[in-house]
Amino acid sequence: MVDINHYIMLSIILFAIGIVGVVARRNIFIIFMSIELMLNSANLLFIAFSKHLVDMSGQVISMMVMGVAAAEASIGLAIVILVYRYKQSFDIDLFNILKGDKK
Amino acid sequence: MLELIYNNLFYIFGFFAICGGVGLVSSKHPINSAFSFIVSLFALAGLYAILSAKMLFAMQIIVYAGAIMVLIIFVIMFLNVKDKDLLQEPHKKKLLFSASVVVSPIVLFVSSIYISDNPKNVSDDFGSIKEIGKELFLDWVLPFELISILLLVSMIGAVVIAKSKD
Repeated sequence: MVDINHYIMLSIILFAIGIVGVVARRNIFIIFMSIELMLNSANLLFIAFSKHLVDMSGQVISMMVMGVAAAEASIGLAIVILVYRYKQSFDIDLFNILKGDKK
Repeated sequence: MLELIYNNLFYIFGFFAICGGVGLVSSKHPINSAFSFIVSLFALAGLYAILSAKMLFAMQIIVYAGAIMVLIIFVIMFLNVKDKDLLQEPHKKKLLFSASVVVSPIVLFVSSIYISDNPKNVSDDFGSIKEIGKELFLDWVLPFELISILLLVSMIGAVVIAKSKD
């Protein structure tokens, strides 16, 4: 019988895969999508607990998370395009230029 | 019989979700990662359907796999990422392995949590659009409005960032 514990386990495994992607890779797109994977694993846990507790607040919070993810995607990709225009690279280290000029 | 199919559905979707995630972090080209991630997102949508979140099932496919991933793939293809543009990651396998070793104790720790199950039957309305709408517009009106402001700000911000030329 699949119960809430299985969903907790699956969710933490997906979250750990997202952490590994953020820590170990240097391509900005892959880091970006790993963050989305972490958001999705949190969504899965919210919805699993919403079924477990028979309360729909968890599903509403998941919808909020999707809205935040959409906002993050639009801004993040705009910044990626802007940095690529100046540097012609997808290295995450180049995003140090977001700190601005040191004067 | 129905119970058997139900059990196996969880494992099938979970398997695909994890495989998609592994493909996401391990492939070289971002477009391969993006398609692996879409597999993962569809598997998660199936899990939401098992959890009787019908509205979230539709939203996951339309908003995530539809809108957000199309945006990401559009940008990857728009920037015309070629193999020679990709930065070299000579220690990729070592780094992936060591990061997995570092996070695995967290996974084991959280997996040791046990919550006693109390299987409750939910009604057919649970997770339907009407019930979610009631919940959203009665109890969660303020967060909903704040999300709308956030989306407006991000839209204006994306336009400002894209227009800046100097």
